[in-house]
Amino acid sequence: MSNLSVFLKGKIGNLFLNFEHHFKNNGITILYGPNGSGKSTIISALGGFINSIETRIIFNGNELHNLDKYPLNNRPFGIMFQNPILFEHLNVEENLDFVIKRNQKKNQNKSSISKEYLIEHLELNSLLKRSPENLSGGEKLRVVLARTILKQSKYLLLDEPMSDLDIKYKAKLLVFLKNFNKKFKIPILYITHSIEEISQIGDQIVLIKDGKKIDNGAVSDILNTNLFGDLTGKFELSSVLDGKVVSNDHNLHITTLDVDGQKLIVPGYPGKFNNEVRVRIRSRDILLSSSRLKSKITENELEGFISTIEVEKNSAFSELVILLKNLKNNKNIQKLRARITTYNLKKMKLSRNDTVFIYISSVSIDRQAYQSK
Amino acid sequence: MDIYHHLNSDFISILITLKLAIITCFFLALIGTPIAYFLAFKSRKTKPLIETIVTLPLVLPPTVIGFYLIIFFNPETVLGKIFILLTGEQLIFSFYGLVLASIIYSIPFWVQPLQASFEKIGRDTVRTSQSLGASSLETFLHVIMPLCKKGFFTSFIISFAHTLGEFGIVLMVGGGIHGKTKVIAISIYDHVEQLSFGKAHILAGGMLILSFFILLTLFYFNKRTVVRIK
Repeated sequence: MSNLSVFLKGKIGNLFLNFEHHFKNNGITILYGPNGSGKSTIISALGGFINSIETRIIFNGNELHNLDKYPLNNRPFGIMFQNPILFEHLNVEENLDFVIKRNQKKNQNKSSISKEYLIEHLELNSLLKRSPENLSGGEKLRVVLARTILKQSKYLLLDEPMSDLDIKYKAKLLVFLKNFNKKFKIPILYITHSIEEISQIGDQIVLIKDGKKIDNGAVSDILNTNLFGDLTGKFELSSVLDGKVVSNDHNLHITTLDVDGQKLIVPGYPGKFNNEVRVRIRSRDILLSSSRLKSKITENELEGFISTIEVEKNSAFSELVILLKNLKNNKNIQKLRARITTYNLKKMKLSRNDTVFIYISSVSIDRQAYQSK
Repeated sequence: MDIYHHLNSDFISILITLKLAIITCFFLALIGTPIAYFLAFKSRKTKPLIETIVTLPLVLPPTVIGFYLIIFFNPETVLGKIFILLTGEQLIFSFYGLVLASIIYSIPFWVQPLQASFEKIGRDTVRTSQSLGASSLETFLHVIMPLCKKGFFTSFIISFAHTLGEFGIVLMVGGGIHGKTKVIAISIYDHVEQLSFGKAHILAGGMLILSFFILLTLFYFNKRTVVRIK
């Protein structure tokens, strides 16, 4: 288990950074916050590039804030900066070899990730002899990612690595990153603004605002909190449901999940039989009814009861947190967040602890809503 | 006096001028490159001060620099004494005094193009290289130098051409001693003073053509590089 403790305090430009966090897992940790909240600064500080503020960075017992002992070129991080740069005087393969050559001595005993593995999985074969200036944005990004990983570092720091990537490729790359993280047990600190990316690959999330940590925890816990909603805008709020694949229907192209004994039908194939799957459902895509509908309006009907109701001031909306009924046991109750109009809330006369039926159209669940577990 | 002698004396001036330009550029590479690197990549409080000092030779009349160098090169000063101790010669009116003066006078011509070139590849490139495990030296040799080929070439050409064209400062510091510190520019001046316009024509025309082709090479090369990148 890797152990990274970070303490940063001081003024950089207009930002007063006062950040302290203990990263303690081998998964993917999301660093999330508004622009200018200090996310990229934290990555720069970990890289050793900021020395004007009070810094304490301890990684697996090593005091990385000691720049004499851990200079810029001898830090355990593989960093992908926000505006990734390929060396233009080298072709793609030479760019990859650059990092191999620089780290040959350090990595003599532990070259676990081969260049060939990355060329295959990031589909770089046809690009190897090309010059960086002839690559598209997405191609460039894959090469930079491969080069970053090839450093064979103990921790990856990725600053908005997918910001200018088309949706189709993004989904592929996210699956790659998730599998990579699981296979090689190399923890990743991942900055992103995209809720899709967070729900698809994030294990832990740290929320930061104005240079301060405001919350942290498991993605499934944080994603439906009000605090997160304040950062993203309530419109984007969502919840994640964990389920297990019961069956795949290859004629109709759907997958049926078991969510604590309740059935959830989703489009496509997020996993095979018995695989665990996480699905993100936006709060605004949920329909509620106080009684079970006789004629079905969507594929999915879930049952739960209302745990909290929050009527927003000066807005048409209310936020409800619903606890899903667990038909298997009473432990591990999953939460679902719903956003409805206050008008509707009043009309349905819903109040706390009421049983509600939740209707979710599979149409509102797309590929990007899945997280392979 | 026979023509042969005069041609010979001009030929010696040409050799001295070329030697001066080459040696000056060599030392400029050693001294000017780290200054350009510092100015481009390290934002320290001292940066404006150093930039000012490096740019001063561009705006000062050569006589001002020449005047202070004469005072500094005086055998009575520490520098002057050290030089006598090392070579047995005076620094003032010597070829090495001339080299020193040329370095000081041409330093902005080496630093500025190179600094611009370093700044163009940017701090992010350097950071990327370092974060990938390259030391500062490796970064300089394997990333900055190849990426800034054009900058180095420009600095070399401009400094070389500028050293060829120096007049005021070399006259003051070198004294125009034949066979020692007399460069082409001074030879031309002497010829004109003696109304030997024919000889002046040969040297002046030669300088004109040489400088023209040096600069043409520079701009041609730089233009071609731009086309290749696109």
